[in-house]
Amino acid sequence: MNVEELLRDALREQAAEQPPAGTGFAEWVLALRRRRRNRRLASVAAATAAVVAVAVAVPLLDSGKDDVRPSGVVEQQGVSAHPDQSPPRDLIAAGNTALAAYYIPNTVKRSATEAVYERTYWLLDSKTGRYVKAPQWSVVAVAPGLKTAAVLEKSLPASRIGLLDLTTGEVKRWIEVDHGVAGLEFSRDGRKLVATTYSDNPDLQVKPKGSDSWMGKQPSSRTGFYVFDVASGKGSWSEVKLGGGKSDRMSLDFINSRQDFALSRDGRYVWAGNPMGEIGKQFWDLTGASVPVPDNEKYLDWSVEALDSPSGRLVAGGFAGKKWHTSSYVVDSATGAKTEMRGQQLLAWVDDRTLVAWDIGKGANESEYHQRLVLVTIGSDKEVPLSGFRKDSGTNPDNGSGRWEPVFAER
Amino acid sequence: MNAEGLESFRDFVDSRSSALLKTAVLLCGGDRHAGEDLLQNALVKAAGRWQRIDEPEAYVRRILYRQQVSRWRLKWHRREVSVAEPPEAGAGTDAASAAELRLVMRAALSRLTARQRTVLVLRYFEDLPEADVARLLGCSVGTVRSTTHRSLARLRVLAPELAALGLAEVERQPSRDYSPVEVRP
Repeated sequence: MNVEELLRDALREQAAEQPPAGTGFAEWVLALRRRRRNRRLASVAAATAAVVAVAVAVPLLDSGKDDVRPSGVVEQQGVSAHPDQSPPRDLIAAGNTALAAYYIPNTVKRSATEAVYERTYWLLDSKTGRYVKAPQWSVVAVAPGLKTAAVLEKSLPASRIGLLDLTTGEVKRWIEVDHGVAGLEFSRDGRKLVATTYSDNPDLQVKPKGSDSWMGKQPSSRTGFYVFDVASGKGSWSEVKLGGGKSDRMSLDFINSRQDFALSRDGRYVWAGNPMGEIGKQFWDLTGASVPVPDNEKYLDWSVEALDSPSGRLVAGGFAGKKWHTSSYVVDSATGAKTEMRGQQLLAWVDDRTLVAWDIGKGANESEYHQRLVLVTIGSDKEVPLSGFRKDSGTNPDNGSGRWEPVFAER
Repeated sequence: MNAEGLESFRDFVDSRSSALLKTAVLLCGGDRHAGEDLLQNALVKAAGRWQRIDEPEAYVRRILYRQQVSRWRLKWHRREVSVAEPPEAGAGTDAASAAELRLVMRAALSRLTARQRTVLVLRYFEDLPEADVARLLGCSVGTVRSTTHRSLARLRVLAPELAALGLAEVERQPSRDYSPVEVRP
């Protein structure tokens, strides 16, 4: 026997001797969390009281219940809604924001312990205003204007990026890459494209021993990003280690197996979510050097699809309601002040007051996943349905028929 | 966390906490109470970000490793771990049964630094290849190899009873890591 074998045996024996975690462990943890949060809130309140001598009125959450404006106010110019269609067949749009594409996800099992999360896309045909299946692509990002999409072929990470002409359905240009790409995102003005590179397919799913559910393979294989000039197809690659920098120190940062980069509002920085970090995100300059979070982006939340409003004054925030009473926050990007509004999940801004969101219908007490696209407006209690309801797919909302995921772009 | 998140959190804890607790206890050198504290803190942190996490198990495991290292850095004073049968100093390898050697090994493991023990638990309990440990800990394969090398050497110093055991593969290769060695308080 060598020392490795003994070590292995000793560790396994010690692990096997451990009695199971007590029943009610989850409740214990949740109770501890509540206590800590209350303590933190109390200490923040005490600190605030000590510093602020003048009472400051807390802004009341604006639920819109007293909104007396005519319903026409929330009905945007140029709304194209199809509340009878799910998934949609015909153009869904509001103002300058259009549903440019959608995809149907499916977890395809490869073996008992490995699967791949795949997407099948439908792209808007701007001539007919209908969505057309495009099964050849695994990732699609649509540029503002709905004329160009960046696409990746089925095998990820991909060795080339296609620039697809959405009016003809033809790839205008292929950009060859040395580092495999699996994520794509255009800048706000559509002139730049950030491509996230991975050494392995970030959509690989594994089933850990003793678990019934699939989860992304860890650790993430993300390696860095390219920033391309869309007009010329030229770009350079920057390495980003899992710890966020270029160094090889022993860091213990965590990112999801797919954690794509995006460009900041002004296109000066690249950023990505960092679920373990205290502020939940990291920023880099275009060469991959880590930079502090810009002041106007500090409330940006990567897990909320809508991100920041067209003017940058507001940021879409998380869920604010309780199960059947859905609502979301929008956050003032300068002060952090929160306002509550309708919508279960904020998906895309139409203008500085209006967003497209998922929401459940009234009396939809059978499932939180029975949602439809709606138009919601800050300060208003009204919702304008844009699509039909997505079907619930049991315990795994990412898998199964009837589920579809929207891709929005400026039209 | 909304109701759906709470439900999925409870499901996760009910189904995975026993397995996670095993790892947590090993990371704490066999201290069950410290392992429970470690896991509990990791789950409290995870609960705060539950609906942003795609891979909860990997996330919680990462917090376990990170917290363990942080506690170390804060010079967190760990309780002395008692083993079922404290090894007798100088006991000859010949006379020691495999079971006794495992107890000796446990006692030695509990005296390693958190970082050394974390690398050994990942390599020999989780059975992760060096490259995966390196990616998980955000360091190079060379650092994992040298830390493993040094940790095994340290085990031999702490437990002379292990001297007669054969060398591990990693011990046959020279260590090239010159980073400072952590010293226990």
